[in-house]
Amino acid sequence: MFLRAIGETASGPCYPARNAIPRKNKMQLARGIAAASTVQDQIVPSWLKTQFSSERIHATGLRLAALVLVVVAVIGLPAFRYPGNVRAIVYATCATGTAAAGLTLITLSGNLFMLSIGATSAVATLVFASTLNHGLLIAVLATLVLGGVIGFIQGLLVGAAKCNPIITTIAVASIITGLGSLYSNGQTILGVGDVSWLGVGQLLPYIPNQLLVLLGVVLVYEFLIDFTVFGREIRLLGTNPKAAVIAGLRTHSCVVLAYSLAGVAAGLSGALLASQASEGNLQLGAGLDFDAIAAVLIGGVSIKGGRGKVSDAAFGALFLSIVGNILLLFNLAYEIQLVVKGLVVLLSVTIAHFAARSSRK
Amino acid sequence: MRINRIHFQFFLAAAIVMLFSFSAPHFLTAGNLFALMQAFALLGLLTLALGLTMIAGEFDLSVGSMVSLAGLCAVKLGQENPFFGVAVAAGLGIVIGLANGILFRALRISSLVVTVGTMIVLTGLSFWIAGGRVVSYENLDVADWLEKSILFALSPRSLITLLVFVLAWLFLGQTKIGRDIYATGSHRLAAEAAGARVTFTLILVFALSGCISAVAGSLLALSLATASATLGDNLMLQAASAAILGGVALSGGIGSALGMALGAFTLSALNNGLSIMGANSPTILLSNGLLLLGVVLFDSMTEQRGKRIFRLKQGHS
Repeated sequence: MFLRAIGETASGPCYPARNAIPRKNKMQLARGIAAASTVQDQIVPSWLKTQFSSERIHATGLRLAALVLVVVAVIGLPAFRYPGNVRAIVYATCATGTAAAGLTLITLSGNLFMLSIGATSAVATLVFASTLNHGLLIAVLATLVLGGVIGFIQGLLVGAAKCNPIITTIAVASIITGLGSLYSNGQTILGVGDVSWLGVGQLLPYIPNQLLVLLGVVLVYEFLIDFTVFGREIRLLGTNPKAAVIAGLRTHSCVVLAYSLAGVAAGLSGALLASQASEGNLQLGAGLDFDAIAAVLIGGVSIKGGRGKVSDAAFGALFLSIVGNILLLFNLAYEIQLVVKGLVVLLSVTIAHFAARSSRK
Repeated sequence: MRINRIHFQFFLAAAIVMLFSFSAPHFLTAGNLFALMQAFALLGLLTLALGLTMIAGEFDLSVGSMVSLAGLCAVKLGQENPFFGVAVAAGLGIVIGLANGILFRALRISSLVVTVGTMIVLTGLSFWIAGGRVVSYENLDVADWLEKSILFALSPRSLITLLVFVLAWLFLGQTKIGRDIYATGSHRLAAEAAGARVTFTLILVFALSGCISAVAGSLLALSLATASATLGDNLMLQAASAAILGGVALSGGIGSALGMALGAFTLSALNNGLSIMGANSPTILLSNGLLLLGVVLFDSMTEQRGKRIFRLKQGHS
């Protein structure tokens, strides 16, 4: 009933003779799938078709590549199958994935990257360790509030004052890193309290609580982007900023919201990192900027804004940790992992370009 | 005479020098001015490298990581002959700059995306070459020569930087390709329509940026007689601050060699003054960040105001 109603309004202006369209096609319109041909639909289910549309092919391709990689590694590398190794991959994905989920909102809103994610997360580890004596929940909430405030300030600067997003976030990163190292004197802060629920706890074997946190963040952000007015405005703003202004969207508040939510995610990833290490240290967030950006780009979120899903970035993070893990199993050090990571980013950007070009043809 | 941005620059640089010469007793000594010019020798080149891409409307994020890689190359390969080391490093810089330029132009995407990738690759390569250690340079004569004091505040290294600035001033102001850079940065489509070689200009600018930052990195490493993978950390931030402080517009098309030199000098003087007054490195990082934020905010305010006035004028005509 609900779907049908949407289908009718969607088809209204384009098709004056409503009853001329079969009901099945209306359903497809309602699901957001454009023109519907007749015969092939029965052979290939529509959801599968969407996955291989030009818009989704990059993200789907990455998920398939991750799957192939896992299958090959499971068959070829005995060490890959060890429970400890699987757990290492999952833990490596959690913090990066959470930060990347936040970054996706920035990229979707058309503001490229946020280069203060690593710094926010590093300072959040300090706050987490310092407030841990009040309990785990309070510590996590403190990191969320910290991240939210830092993100909110950047959102105001970028959204309302129209500052350049890259330079603003570089400046904010150095400000909060400076404040953080003044606060900690460059030393490690050991947390007093129990972090085992978040740090090492697991609901089922292979499903640590950190993974639940990541899934929660991805689901909530995905819901916000796709099913709330604000989220849709963020996406539209990224697709075409000029049209968004003319259409009267709340562009300032959208950007502020996107940055605040990205800050919250960065703070949360700091909490995850701090609970894994059970300490607070400015070095903990060191590579997070690169990793989150790489995850977003590899995952298939369009750098031009507007296109992509939050889960794409999470899969990008998973892919990165699998690649990193395999390199590690081949005894290749951190440096080679960085080089490979950078090359994968450049490669995926190139592939995205050619996918977009072939779809235009 | 209209007061323009360059006058403001001179005023700001003079104000900072005055402020520190009153508040920090050792600021105006020959030794400290020498140290200030050595800091300027590094930051000036990097500001120029980044500023050239900014004038063309792009942004080279890989400048800092290029410094580390070039420093390591120059020290590793230049043990026998320092000129060979610097030449290889500069060649590497040109190759990487060309790769950056060709890739982002061919893909028609923001140069930020491509240079983020290059930055990660270069950082990885530097860690790989360094192998987690500090590489030292045996031939200390080279360092001595580069750090030799000429006219009490200058050295061969800072003279090289000043020479490069003069060349950049001639290049930007007096050559056709220099004007093409400004045209490309202010309105790419209009520049293309007017016959500017936009693709060539952009690729050239990135090659120059890679080359200049590689030279800066190799000279720094040779004069320190050491190189490590973290040589270029935080330099990106300072170079961006200095370029914006020097009047280079983030939106492209605006900026000058003199402005960039003054911006780099002002920032070096500020950091030098703060550190001889006893500020520790987090405080300096914090103040650099605040300064950058302030300048960006100021620029965006004036730009918004300019747009508003433009709109008003259009409305009346």
